[in-house]
Amino acid sequence: MKSATRLLLLVPVVLGLGAALVVAVSTGATAAAAPEGDDELGYVVDLEDLDDPGNVAAGEALFRLGCVSCHGPGGVGTPTGPSLVNAGAASAHFYLTTGRMPHHGSPQEQAARKPPVYSPEEIEDLVAYVASLGDGLPIPEVDLGTGHLQEGGDLYRAHCAACHSAAGAGGALSFGQNAPSLEEATPVQIYEAMLIGPGQMPAFGAFTEEEINSIVAYIGELQRLNDPGGMSLGRLGPIPEGFVAIVIGTGGAILAAFLVGRRVHDADEAGQEPTSDREAGR
Amino acid sequence: MGAGSTVHKATPLSRRTARWFDARLGAASFARKALDKVFPDHWSFLLGELALWSLIIVLATGVYLTFFFDASTEEVVYQGSYVPLQGVEMTKAYASALDLSFDVRAGLMMRQIHHWAANVYLATTVVHLMRIYFTGAFRRPRELNWLIGVAMLILSIVNGFVGYSLLDDQLSGTGLRIAYNIAISVPVGGTWLASLFFGGDFPGPDLIERLFVIHILLLPAVIVALVGAHLALVARQRHTQFPGPGRSERNVVGERVWPTFAAKGLAVFLLTTAILSALGGLAQINPVWLYGPYRPAEVSSASQPDWYMGWLDGALRLWPGWEIRAFGFELPTPFYPSVLLPGVTFTLLALWPFLEARFTKDRREHNLLDRPRSRPLRTAFGMSTLAFYTVLFFAGASDVLAATFQTSVNGLFRTFRILLLVAPPVAGFVTYRLCREMVRRDRPGASAEATAVAPAAPDDGAARRREVAPEDAPEHDPASTAGVARR
Amino acid sequence: MSDGREPPTGEHRRAELVVAGAFVVSIVAALLLAVVYVVGGQPQLEGTFLGLALGGMGVGVAFWARCFMPSDEVTEERPELASSEDEVAAFTASFEAGEQTLARRGLLAKLGLGALGALGLAAVFPIRSLGPRPGAGLATTPFGGAGRLRLVDGEGHPIRPGDLARNQLLTAWPEGHVGAADAPTLLLQFDPGEFVPLPGREGWTVENVVAYSKLCTHTGCPVGLYQTELDLLLCPCHQSTFDVLHGAEPVFGPAARPLPQLPLDVDDQGFLIATADFSAPVGGGYWDRGRSS
Repeated sequence: MKSATRLLLLVPVVLGLGAALVVAVSTGATAAAAPEGDDELGYVVDLEDLDDPGNVAAGEALFRLGCVSCHGPGGVGTPTGPSLVNAGAASAHFYLTTGRMPHHGSPQEQAARKPPVYSPEEIEDLVAYVASLGDGLPIPEVDLGTGHLQEGGDLYRAHCAACHSAAGAGGALSFGQNAPSLEEATPVQIYEAMLIGPGQMPAFGAFTEEEINSIVAYIGELQRLNDPGGMSLGRLGPIPEGFVAIVIGTGGAILAAFLVGRRVHDADEAGQEPTSDREAGR
Repeated sequence: MGAGSTVHKATPLSRRTARWFDARLGAASFARKALDKVFPDHWSFLLGELALWSLIIVLATGVYLTFFFDASTEEVVYQGSYVPLQGVEMTKAYASALDLSFDVRAGLMMRQIHHWAANVYLATTVVHLMRIYFTGAFRRPRELNWLIGVAMLILSIVNGFVGYSLLDDQLSGTGLRIAYNIAISVPVGGTWLASLFFGGDFPGPDLIERLFVIHILLLPAVIVALVGAHLALVARQRHTQFPGPGRSERNVVGERVWPTFAAKGLAVFLLTTAILSALGGLAQINPVWLYGPYRPAEVSSASQPDWYMGWLDGALRLWPGWEIRAFGFELPTPFYPSVLLPGVTFTLLALWPFLEARFTKDRREHNLLDRPRSRPLRTAFGMSTLAFYTVLFFAGASDVLAATFQTSVNGLFRTFRILLLVAPPVAGFVTYRLCREMVRRDRPGASAEATAVAPAAPDDGAARRREVAPEDAPEHDPASTAGVARR
Repeated sequence: MSDGREPPTGEHRRAELVVAGAFVVSIVAALLLAVVYVVGGQPQLEGTFLGLALGGMGVGVAFWARCFMPSDEVTEERPELASSEDEVAAFTASFEAGEQTLARRGLLAKLGLGALGALGLAAVFPIRSLGPRPGAGLATTPFGGAGRLRLVDGEGHPIRPGDLARNQLLTAWPEGHVGAADAPTLLLQFDPGEFVPLPGREGWTVENVVAYSKLCTHTGCPVGLYQTELDLLLCPCHQSTFDVLHGAEPVFGPAARPLPQLPLDVDDQGFLIATADFSAPVGGGYWDRGRSS
């Protein structure tokens, strides 16, 4: 048997492995996405505890250690960090639970989502302290029961998709900024972001609670939704699709043509030139 | 196990059928000639076949989809099984696209195979075009087939765009809006053109219906007719071949069509279809349910065309905001990158065989192919052209690249603008030097192939109709040319 | 091309096994494909089994062709493409003989050609039915029609300047034309003194609320990406970027002109109205844009 031709055997093997992988990944993804501790809305603070003076004092101590260099004593702000006097619990909770604060880059640089630096208890303390500084928005209570999935979809596509993309995959903005992927955003964080408009994002304070809950419900659906067509390719649209079509589709077809079509004689190791010259006899 | 045994086992019925037809058509001698035809065996000659097989898959799956797709802009309320859109108002076109994805068994796989096959069809077409170009297969007598090929390429790009614009989702509507604005940017007649095609101002009342007729009837009919002409010309003119022992301008050396070449073709067809089917089932393409129904005020980030339009999108992005205005008239920005550039591109592409013949003064018949290295100027020019369009292609992905690699879109724009000017000459120069170097190393001492322009044909006159290149190898002297094409 | 040429070596044996195995894989996969369909269908399994069924056949045929079919090189003469001198002469003679009968009635032949040309010209006219004369629709939006139309949100509710706030954006429409493709309007509010109007547009804002067309002046995509810290509007199609504090002039990308601005006022009930149409035709440019506005 010709050695190169043997490679053809790989085609069914690869297809089979690919199928197994997809099935494994899609079932595994649903299994992994479901449990998120006992906190299905993504809270990491107990709202009741925010008014506890003990928490405020503990938060102030943490603030003096980790935040004061940019936000200034008492959160009044410095040239490198904005004032937090009226930032409120919602803002503090959003920035701390998404890991965007503390931010160690330059102030102009966009803070990216990362695992929170502080523990849930520390975040509770810090949020309590920032909330005590002035008059800010409290942490909103998400009530998915009042949300309406389909209306949320309409609102999401009208108001959010322009930056975060219809699939929630995020997208580029100008001058090095980007709209982050919503893959990991928790319902509370989405609600908070819509109220406060973090970073480059506009605020959507004019929306009703029901409308915001609907959008939260739709984003949750985008996060949970399996891709019925197979591998999602990052849900980034025609760019990765074109990449797959060219590299895998076209590359695979060309490889098949090469393996099937290359000269049989060349495949013989011993250099059997066509000098053997078996006449076709026609 | 050989082919001979199968022939002997032919049942009387099949013989009788064959005789029945022959008595009415007298086709036996023609059919025998077809079976006995010799096809040169080099794997790269199968690239065009790949495009043909993909096109057949596109047509077959496309026919299946037409049974379920309803090209209507009538507004309905979606009631299908995709929960996040239930109760949402949309056109019948979009609703039927959702239905055939979610409520028709095997429909989603068919739709995805159709889309993957379309993307692969155009990619294999371009690879085939590159093979033809770099080996000089477009030279006399094959200029006509080159023109047919270019026409098919243009029509196929257009039909691909029309196809994914049919579904009336947000992404396709955004693409159509751009197409409308490109149409009105054409000087003098542009607004008329747009109004006649769209049936009025954007979005136009019957646009989807018109696109449907264009996509499933008009353009496929023309493309299939051109494919027929393309193949007929190959059959009439015989295939080109690489130089080698026993190969000359006046003969064809290879396998007979029946059975070996036909079986190989069948195998490549089956394997190509297998890859497309696997992609259709395992890799998601154009998830229209995520994009939502088209609304003119909405847009999603990462709004891109399919890959074969990527270079046009890139050109639209990179072309600076220059508008020429005078006497109340103007030439709007999109005109240059999206009307002028493709116009020039495809005109030059179509005229290339004639331009090269004029440039090299080589108007003889060529049935032996060039190795790319032995025509360094042509190869360098081709690579430099490819570099130009590759930069545009990546520029079309600039926002996705910026988001994926956490960099600035603005910085990428500047980089691509510089690359667009720098990459083509660099690619051309490097290719040229590489070709010369490879030729030098191939055959120390001999340089018959290295000359970019072949020596002039010997005194013709009697040989007026048969001007062939002089590289004809002496037919009974394989040793002298051995190793030229066989490595 | 006879069977006897191939010795029954172990190599052939193995190749036969491969072909047989590939065909068996193909048969099994095709049957499984049918089963998957019958039990309800599943795109990933359908694609896999269809791929295996076709791929198995493909591998089998490929091995068959490469291992058991003749791979000898056959040499064939190329046919002469051009016709012989005699054939060309015969054709020319036939053609010219017919041509002369035409030439003898030269005037009639010309008239006949004229009739054909006229019919061809007449056949062009039905194309005109495909669409209306362009022009007015490109240059105007519903705001320019009856005049002083209210701006409403996506649900048709009129808008007061106080409904807006800094760092928010709202897509508004002319009353009665929600969803009109040429009329989406962006409403933005700035802090006092931030906004620098273009010359001649000093009175076009109400309570620091500014209205721009949402359609990019490059190729008409909705410019929906509002970067509040930089006060830029970005078009996701080709990355044109507009400075909303300075008349939405383009600051980056391929757009050549600012987003058209809508002159605003409030009616006696305090709702936002447009006092006239946009400052320029919305969307991408066209040949006589300057004359039609």
